[in-house]
Amino acid sequence: MIGKRIPRIDGPVKATGEAKYTVDIQLPGMLCAKILRSPLPHAHILNIDISKALKIRGVKAIITGTDAWGIKHGFVETPRYPADQFVLANDRVRYIGEEVAAVAAIDEDVALEALDAIRVDYEELPAVFDLFEAMKPDAPEIHPVEIPDLKEPYKNIGGQCENVFGDVDGAFAKAFLVKKDRYEGTLRTHCYLEPQATVAHYDSGGTLHVWTSGMGVFRKRMHLSRTLKIPANNIHVHKAWVGGAFGGKIDLFSHEFCTSLLSMRTGRPVKFVAEREEIFSYYRNSQPMVIDLETAVDRDGHILGQRVRCYNDCGAYRGSGVVCIFLCWGFVMLPYRIPALDYRGYSVYTNNPVRAPQRGHGAPKIRFAVESQMDAIAEELSIDPVELRLRNARHRGEILPNGDSVKNAGLIECIQMAAARTNFVATYKKNHTQQSESDHIKRGIGMGVSAYFTGTLIYPNNSAALVQLNDDGTIHLLTGAQDIGQGAETILAQIVAEEFGVSVDDIQVAAADTETTPVDIGSWISGLTYVTGNAVKKAAEEAKKLLLHSASRELNVKPEDLDVKSRTIYVKHDPHQSIPFARAIARHIREHGGDPIIGRGFFRGLKDAAIGPSLKNAKGSWSDSYAFDVQVAEVEVDTRTGHIRVVKAVTAHDCGFPINPLLVEGQIDGQVSMAAGQATNEIVRMKHGLTVNPSFLEYKMPLATEMVENEYIDVVTEEYTKDHHFHTKEVGEGYVSAILAAIANAVYNATGYRTKVLPIHFPLEK
Amino acid sequence: MKKKRQGSRMKKYLITLHINNEDYEVTVEDRDTLLDVLREKLHLTGAKEACGTGECGACTVLVDDRAVLACLTLAIEAEGKAITTIEGLAPQGILSPLQQAFIEHGAIQCGFCTPGMILSATALLKANPAPSRQEIQKALEGNLCRCTGYNKIVEAIESVTVKDTP
Repeated sequence: MIGKRIPRIDGPVKATGEAKYTVDIQLPGMLCAKILRSPLPHAHILNIDISKALKIRGVKAIITGTDAWGIKHGFVETPRYPADQFVLANDRVRYIGEEVAAVAAIDEDVALEALDAIRVDYEELPAVFDLFEAMKPDAPEIHPVEIPDLKEPYKNIGGQCENVFGDVDGAFAKAFLVKKDRYEGTLRTHCYLEPQATVAHYDSGGTLHVWTSGMGVFRKRMHLSRTLKIPANNIHVHKAWVGGAFGGKIDLFSHEFCTSLLSMRTGRPVKFVAEREEIFSYYRNSQPMVIDLETAVDRDGHILGQRVRCYNDCGAYRGSGVVCIFLCWGFVMLPYRIPALDYRGYSVYTNNPVRAPQRGHGAPKIRFAVESQMDAIAEELSIDPVELRLRNARHRGEILPNGDSVKNAGLIECIQMAAARTNFVATYKKNHTQQSESDHIKRGIGMGVSAYFTGTLIYPNNSAALVQLNDDGTIHLLTGAQDIGQGAETILAQIVAEEFGVSVDDIQVAAADTETTPVDIGSWISGLTYVTGNAVKKAAEEAKKLLLHSASRELNVKPEDLDVKSRTIYVKHDPHQSIPFARAIARHIREHGGDPIIGRGFFRGLKDAAIGPSLKNAKGSWSDSYAFDVQVAEVEVDTRTGHIRVVKAVTAHDCGFPINPLLVEGQIDGQVSMAAGQATNEIVRMKHGLTVNPSFLEYKMPLATEMVENEYIDVVTEEYTKDHHFHTKEVGEGYVSAILAAIANAVYNATGYRTKVLPIHFPLEK
Repeated sequence: MKKKRQGSRMKKYLITLHINNEDYEVTVEDRDTLLDVLREKLHLTGAKEACGTGECGACTVLVDDRAVLACLTLAIEAEGKAITTIEGLAPQGILSPLQQAFIEHGAIQCGFCTPGMILSATALLKANPAPSRQEIQKALEGNLCRCTGYNKIVEAIESVTVKDTP
C-alpha cells in the first residue's frame, strides 16, 4: 500500500457533489451573520450606536467589541509577542475592513439592512501603508511596541529575528566577489475556492457546535475556547470538507468568533459566509517582503558569507509576520553551506490588512532572491549554474547552524538528476548565445533550489490516533487530521492498510472531529504526514500486535511466526494454516473480558525539545527532517507583448519516500501552477489600504489554458520500515519556491532581463 | 456581491424546474438565481458558489446540455429547460465515466471546483466527443482550480475522449 498510486478515498463523495463543505451546511432555524467593517484605515472609535439596527424586524442579535470581554488573540501568543488583536475592534481600528460589529438576522437582506443602520462615529488618525515609511521615527504609531533587542531607531517594529554566526566581516573582507541586491515580492493571495465560512450552533446543553473552513480542528478549538471563555470540552468542532486553504485559513478569524457568540446570544444556529470581495480586500493575504541580500563568494563560487535583511509588512496586527521573518532565516541557511551569516528580519506594522501564512511562508520570496543572485554570481564567475549550486549544496549528514542534521539529504542527487533530465547546461548555454534575432519568442531555461522543514513544535504540537478492529475484520481509523485537499485521509488509510496487509477499502476513516477523534497537529506547518502518519502507524502496530497474539493462541504458533494478508492471519512457513481476522478478534474479546482490539498511537516531532525554535534568535531545534528540491523551468517570452509562458517544469525532489505518488504529483502540479501565477501575473493591488482588484477577474490566477507541463523525479532517501517510525519529508508547500526562482532565471536566460521584483514585468522597448 | 433588496419585498412566482429528470415546484422571487434555488431551496449543494459573479465556474450546471453559470442565471429563466446538476450524473449511484476518471487520475484535491469542472467537461464531450488537449483547456477556461494546476483534470478528461481506432 505504501508507494502505490491509490486514488483518494474521498474521490467518490467529491465527484458526486455529496461532500459537505461548511458553506453547504444548513440547519433548521439558522440565522445569517454579516460583519460591519471599518471604512477607515486608522481611527479611534468614538461611539457605536446599534439601537436603530436592533429595532429592525428580523434582527436577532448584534455584537460589538464591548461584548467580547476585551480579549485579544494572535497567530503567535508568547511573552515576547503577546496577542495584539481584539476579536472585534474596541476603541480603535487599524485597517480598512477591520471587524467592528456583527449581526445575526433571519436572512441576508435583513442582516445587510442592519449593518446599514449601525452608526459608528470615528475620529480618523494618520495612517501609513508603506513599510519603510512606517519604520521612520515620525511615522504614525500603530501599536506601542517594545522590542528590547532592536538596535535601530525603527518605529512600528512588531517583531525582529536576529541570527549571526561565523566571521561575517572576515568573509566579506576576503571575498573575490560580493553581490548586493534588493528583491521584492509583492502582495498576493491564496485563492482558495471555498470562501471563508463558519456555522455555529450553541445547544441548550451548553455545547457550542462549530463547522468552519479551516486547517485543523484542534487549533480552532483552542482559539475559540480562549476567546469565548468556554472550556474545550464544551466546544465541538465538527468535520466539514475544506475547499482549499493554502495557509490562509489557519488563524482564528473574527467571523469564527462572531458566528459562535451570535449563536450563544440567540440560541439558534448561525451561518457566516464571506463574500469573495471581502476575502480579497479584508482577509489575510500573503506576506509581501523586501529582501536585501549581500553574498560574498570566493573565486570558485563558494559562499563565504551572507548579510540578509528581510523587511516584512505584516499589516495592522502581527498575524504570522513574526514567524515569517524567522522562517526566512531558515530558508536562507538550509540548502547551501554558509560559513558566516548576519541575518536580521523585521516584521513591520502598517495600516494594511493582516497577513497570514501562504504556501511556503516566506520561502518563495527568499529563495527567489538567493537563486536569482546565485545565477548572477555564476555568470560573473563564468561557472555554470549547476556547478555553482553543486559546490555549495549541503551534503548528507551535514549539521545546520541550529544543530539540526539534514540527515539523508538528497539535494546533490536532485541537482544532478534535474540537470541531466533537462540537459540543462547545454540548453542554458545555447539559449544564452543562440536566440534567433528574427523570432520574437525567446526561449529560456532556469534552475532553482529550495528546501523545507517537516513540521515543528507549535500548538497542538502532537497527534494521536486510534485503530479499532470491527467484528468482521474491517478497520476503523480515528484521527483528528483534517483533509484540506492534500489527501490526508487517504495516506493515513494507506498506512493502516500497509500494517494489516489489507486494501484501503477495508479501512473506514473518521476524521477531524474534536469530540470523537484524538488530538491532531493539523494540516499546516508541513507536519501532518510525518507526525500524524507516525501516530497512525503506532496505533496500527499496537492493534496488529494484539491481533497476532490472539491468532497465535488459535493457531498454536508464536506471534512472530505469523503474518497478515487480505483480512486473514497465516503461518509464514505454512500459509495454508490461517484464520480470518474476525476469528482472532472474537477470541480476543472472549479472552480479555470483552476488550475489543483498539490500538493507540501518538507522535510528536522534536521529542526532546520543550518548545519550538526561538522566534527572537532562531536558536533551538527546528525540525526532525528537511526536504530538498531542485526545479527547472522552461519559458517562452514574447518580446513584443512581454507575455511570459511557463512551458514546462521539472521537479527533482527528496521527499524521503512518496507514500502515494499520485497525491505527491498533485501537490507538485498545484505548487508549480501557483508559482507560475506568482511569477507572471498575480498581485493584490492596494491603494491607501484598500484593495483595488478584489475579484477573480482582476486578480489573475492561472487558467486551464495556462497549464504547465510537469515532470517529476523522486529522489528516494528514506524508507518505510516495520516497527520503527518513518521519515517522510514535506511535499505540500516547498515546491512553490525553487520553481519561482527558476522561472525568473529562465526569463533571464531567454532575454537577458533579470527581474528583482515579482511578478516579472518584462520591459518592452519603447 | 451583496444582493440587498431595494425597497419593498419582491414579487413571488411559482415555477416548475426540471432538474435531473425530476420536476420541482418552487416559489421564487424574480431576482433569485438558479444557484440560490438549487442550493438553498432544493438542497442540491453540489453546485458551489465561490464568487457569485460568474468568474470561477464552481456553480456550473447543464441547461439543455450546455454548461451554464447558475450564479448568473435567474431561476425563472430556467423554467421549462432540462437542468442537470452534479447530483444527476450518477443515477443509482453509478458514477459516469468522467466522474470515475477524475477519481482515478487524481483530478480531485479539495474538490470544491470538481462539480463545475465535471459538468463543463460533460458539456464539452457531448458537443465534441474527441476534443484535442487545447480544446479541453479552452472548455475549462472558465473553471478555476487552485489545487491541481489543471494537469490531472485535463488528463482525466483525455482518458474518456473518443480515440481514433486504428
